[in-house]
Amino acid sequence: MEVSTTPRWNADRPFLTGRFHQEIKVSSSNQTGSWGHSTDAASLGSENPIGSYHASVQELFVIEDLLSALVGIEGQYTSIKRVRGKEGHFIFQIDSSMDLALQEMAKRIFPLCENFLIINQFVESRSQLKNGLVNHAFAAALRALLLDYQAMVAQLEHQFRLGRLSIQGFWFYCQPMMGSMHALSTVIEKAAADNLAGSAVLNLLQSQAKAMAGDHAVRSLLEKMIQCASSAYLGILERWVYEGVIDDPYGEFFIAENKLLQKESLTQDYNAKYWRQRYSLKDGVPSFLTDVAGTILTTGKYLNVMRECGHSVQVPQSESSKLTSFGSNHHYLECIRTAYNFASGELLNLIKEKYDLVGKLRSIKHYLLLDQGDFLVHFMDIARDELAKKPDDISVEKLQSLLDLALRTTAAAADPLHEDLMCCVERISLLKRLGTLKGIEVKVPAADGNDLEDPISITGLETFSLSYKVQWPLSIVISRKALTKYQLIFRLLFHCKHVNRQLCGAWQVHQGVRALNTKGTAICRSSLLCRSMLKFINSLLHYLTFEVLEPNWHVMHARIQSAKSIDEVIQYHDFFLDKCLKECLLLLPELLKKVERLKAICLQYAAASQWLIASSVSIPDPESSSNGPLGSEKPRSWRSRNRSQGLTVAADKTVSATDSLLKFEREFNSELQSLGPILSSNSQAEPYLTHLAQLILGVGNEQ
Amino acid sequence: MPREIITLQVGQCGNQIGMEFWKQLCLEHGISKDGILEDFATQGGDRKDVFFYQADDQHYIPRALLLDLEPRVINGIQNSEYRNLYNHENIFVSDHGGGAGNNWASGYHQGEQVQEDIMDMVDREADGSDSLEGFVLCHSIAGGTGSGMGSYLLETLNDRYSKKLVQTYSVFPNQMETSDVVVQPYNSLLTLKRLTLNADCVVVLDNTALNRIAVERLHLSNPTFAQTNSLVSTVMSASTTTLRYPGYMNNDLVGLLASLIPTPRCHFLMTGYTPLTVERQANVIRKTTVLDVMRRLLQTKNIMVSSYARTKEASQAKYISILNIIQGEVDPTQVHESLQRIRERKLVNFIEWGPASIQVALSRKSPYIQTSHRVSGLMLASHTSIRHLFSKCLSQYEKLRKKQAFLDNYRKFPMFADNDLSEFDESREIIESLVDEYKACESPDYIKWGMEDPSGALTGEGNATGTVDPKLGM
Repeated sequence: MEVSTTPRWNADRPFLTGRFHQEIKVSSSNQTGSWGHSTDAASLGSENPIGSYHASVQELFVIEDLLSALVGIEGQYTSIKRVRGKEGHFIFQIDSSMDLALQEMAKRIFPLCENFLIINQFVESRSQLKNGLVNHAFAAALRALLLDYQAMVAQLEHQFRLGRLSIQGFWFYCQPMMGSMHALSTVIEKAAADNLAGSAVLNLLQSQAKAMAGDHAVRSLLEKMIQCASSAYLGILERWVYEGVIDDPYGEFFIAENKLLQKESLTQDYNAKYWRQRYSLKDGVPSFLTDVAGTILTTGKYLNVMRECGHSVQVPQSESSKLTSFGSNHHYLECIRTAYNFASGELLNLIKEKYDLVGKLRSIKHYLLLDQGDFLVHFMDIARDELAKKPDDISVEKLQSLLDLALRTTAAAADPLHEDLMCCVERISLLKRLGTLKGIEVKVPAADGNDLEDPISITGLETFSLSYKVQWPLSIVISRKALTKYQLIFRLLFHCKHVNRQLCGAWQVHQGVRALNTKGTAICRSSLLCRSMLKFINSLLHYLTFEVLEPNWHVMHARIQSAKSIDEVIQYHDFFLDKCLKECLLLLPELLKKVERLKAICLQYAAASQWLIASSVSIPDPESSSNGPLGSEKPRSWRSRNRSQGLTVAADKTVSATDSLLKFEREFNSELQSLGPILSSNSQAEPYLTHLAQLILGVGNEQ
Repeated sequence: MPREIITLQVGQCGNQIGMEFWKQLCLEHGISKDGILEDFATQGGDRKDVFFYQADDQHYIPRALLLDLEPRVINGIQNSEYRNLYNHENIFVSDHGGGAGNNWASGYHQGEQVQEDIMDMVDREADGSDSLEGFVLCHSIAGGTGSGMGSYLLETLNDRYSKKLVQTYSVFPNQMETSDVVVQPYNSLLTLKRLTLNADCVVVLDNTALNRIAVERLHLSNPTFAQTNSLVSTVMSASTTTLRYPGYMNNDLVGLLASLIPTPRCHFLMTGYTPLTVERQANVIRKTTVLDVMRRLLQTKNIMVSSYARTKEASQAKYISILNIIQGEVDPTQVHESLQRIRERKLVNFIEWGPASIQVALSRKSPYIQTSHRVSGLMLASHTSIRHLFSKCLSQYEKLRKKQAFLDNYRKFPMFADNDLSEFDESREIIESLVDEYKACESPDYIKWGMEDPSGALTGEGNATGTVDPKLGM
């Protein structure tokens, strides 16, 4: 951080900063009881040793000297030296010829003088710009205190001039200051030793105040200091919780902003870093804020979101909401709470009302969860050829225009949000995609790990997906990750729908030979197989939609309505997606693979059904039927009968068709049956699988 | 505007229920009697285009063809407040206006003669749609026009639009009271053959049951046609809700039908609806939860096909498939619980030869119609007991045929000329095999039905005829 430094001229002039005392070197052995031990009286520079005077005269000299010492100035018979290499240590020396009683008295007063020097030096050094606001404020408070102290010294001097001050009186008058000055210097020594700044200073003061709980005077003094020192800090806090602005030139605040993260990244970044890491807590939360640090962070974060949306929102402030102190009455906590409630309420309101979060979610539900599936019917009609291509050959632009067409001509047309829907075609199958996803726990059995090979011929039908344009600030809730989850569910649904469609086509092929008496034929068998497959895929879809998506959406919707903050909304939404993902079997690759296998059989069967039926039936030529035995007699009325009788089961061609039909039947039934044990073995841990088992295997299959 | 459906309403009954159906659709979609979208109905989200198209002046016009051989009902429609709704080019009344005289053969023959006019209309409507999904035919099977001309249309549509679906709403005659149409058994039998062979799906609306429901459930002492028709229109509109209010599944007709119909011929569906109300009737407010609705739908008294089965046979009857369309404010978490409860209580008797369970489709309700109940439900089901309805038709036919009664009316027309009554025999044969197939569905090894080698080695030699169970001729 660039902070302008105090100009050199200040440091160069020691009398300005109080660092004018001579430095001496003290051997460590000599340190204890260093005050007033001097063997060389002459070194003090006075003409006569003080001992040569009468004790009462000595007293006057001593008082005179002590008054100077109290403000850090050497006197006639006392000297003040700094200890080299030890910041904040002073040695007071006194003429040893002095009356012993006076010496003793002076030595008692010297600590006060030393404390003054320490405090004064601290004030001088901490007032430099680089030390930060808290230190400045603390130093200012100390300076005010020192003024009081100096006033006391001046009064003492006045009394002395009037001849009313004895050394005992001096000692007596100093008493009130002794305790507080000592306490402060202790604090300061610690602060100076670790070169504390910012919240650390506040923490130190606070813990010191707690430690001094028994000494009322000192305690209240320290609390006063805390209040003064923290006022600047509270100013920073106030701007953050009320305006969402970090006004922290010296880096003292406990919230950091990472300006590199842009809000636009939310639509791309899978981990939603912007939301989670744009603002973060640093070390050094003041102890009185540790419990609410999270709240403070989110409050400002919310305010910032609103500012980013172009709403300059400010928490309404009144006299009572001023963050003046953090005394024991916890007023400040209430203020923070109010600010938080306001910010989260406003943001929630903004996102829900102005940006219509629920509408957007509902729209996503229409398209990505197929809640309003009619557009898909049409889309699959018109995009059939394009989707059947390999993923690399598909023109996404063409799909997009077809999708737009489908949306415009179906119920989606009434939804203005449908324009945010986009096509995308992925390169890999759903199973493989699930394997590559980070942050989603897919239980891949170890032995099965490399089994997730793509089928050789993967087409757009397997890889087609929809995407949705989500703008700031809704991207906070509907993040990239959330959208990805939606897409996974969509791909599963889409493919199921595709299978369902193909089977419906096969069903219609069967309907075409209605006129034929199919009793006991391969056609009859085939139509029953078709029914079983339809039942399977319909049950699966029913499970996915009515047992998983719809109830969970319903719950999520109700929760979002009653949510108090955007973080709650995010939490509910993520919970919904994770639950759906899990219950849609997407996290159980073992099961999903079985389902994919079943769907593949269905697709193969559907593709073969036309041929199966055609080779089971011989359709007579129209010409030969008109030449039939009764054709000439009643051409009109016989038309219908020709149809029903002309279609006869062709015995010769059916053998191969029947064989392959039975093969389909066997494969399908055995796969379906093998699904049962897997479902029931897993259903202990995942109870929803029981629903699926009931639906897919049905009640008629118990015997 | 994809997956459109064209409605053909044929004959007196067909036009009456068709009119009620369109009334109901207009109410549900907020379309006025003149076809103009009401001011309050602009929020969208529904699919009006499946059943309507928009004229140049934004009028919504039903994709409907109104066909009859006598002018009475259609004139009624043209003088009603809905006269401006329909496209007048789509109304066909035969020139002579004499009707079909309750004679199937007459209806069929006249249908053949006006085929070109009608198919022109059908083609025009079909060309006006992007990707036609299919046709819906409303008719009764007892009279002359709906059954005869309806049969002819079924055959023609099947020929001409072989790739399109044909669904019918067929009203079966009231068998409890003596009908004024004495040849009703003949007409029914001949129509049933076409319904079996030429329709993809037949929703059976049994007048007997409709009357019973009106009397017992709605407490109407003497239900009028309008009242029973409103029941029909309720069923018709409810069964199309998944097409008109798209949801997760069943958003196209083929998906809807494919899940319900097991084999090409077993495509007769019965319906149930709850809670039932009739216009101007003070609604009884009752608790409607999903479970309640589903449970009520399974009660025979709510089902719109009467069961002619004897007790022993009834106990063997089984559901092949069920689709419950639940409309309204449904708590989706209740769906699973309800299904679970129904399964635990064994309220449904399903076939044993394949997986089966109740399918559910949740659908929105029209926001423009106020109802006192929160949830309503329609059941579409394929149930083997429907064979008893056909057996009943067969037995009535046998009675009449034995006496050789009223056959002269039929011999007047080409199909039966020269005393060639083979059409009757063939129809009977087909209905019998249909009854057989449904009966076979009740047994656990239906899969091997009609196969000589039960081990599954299919020979491919299909039987031409099914043996008739002697017990069936009641």
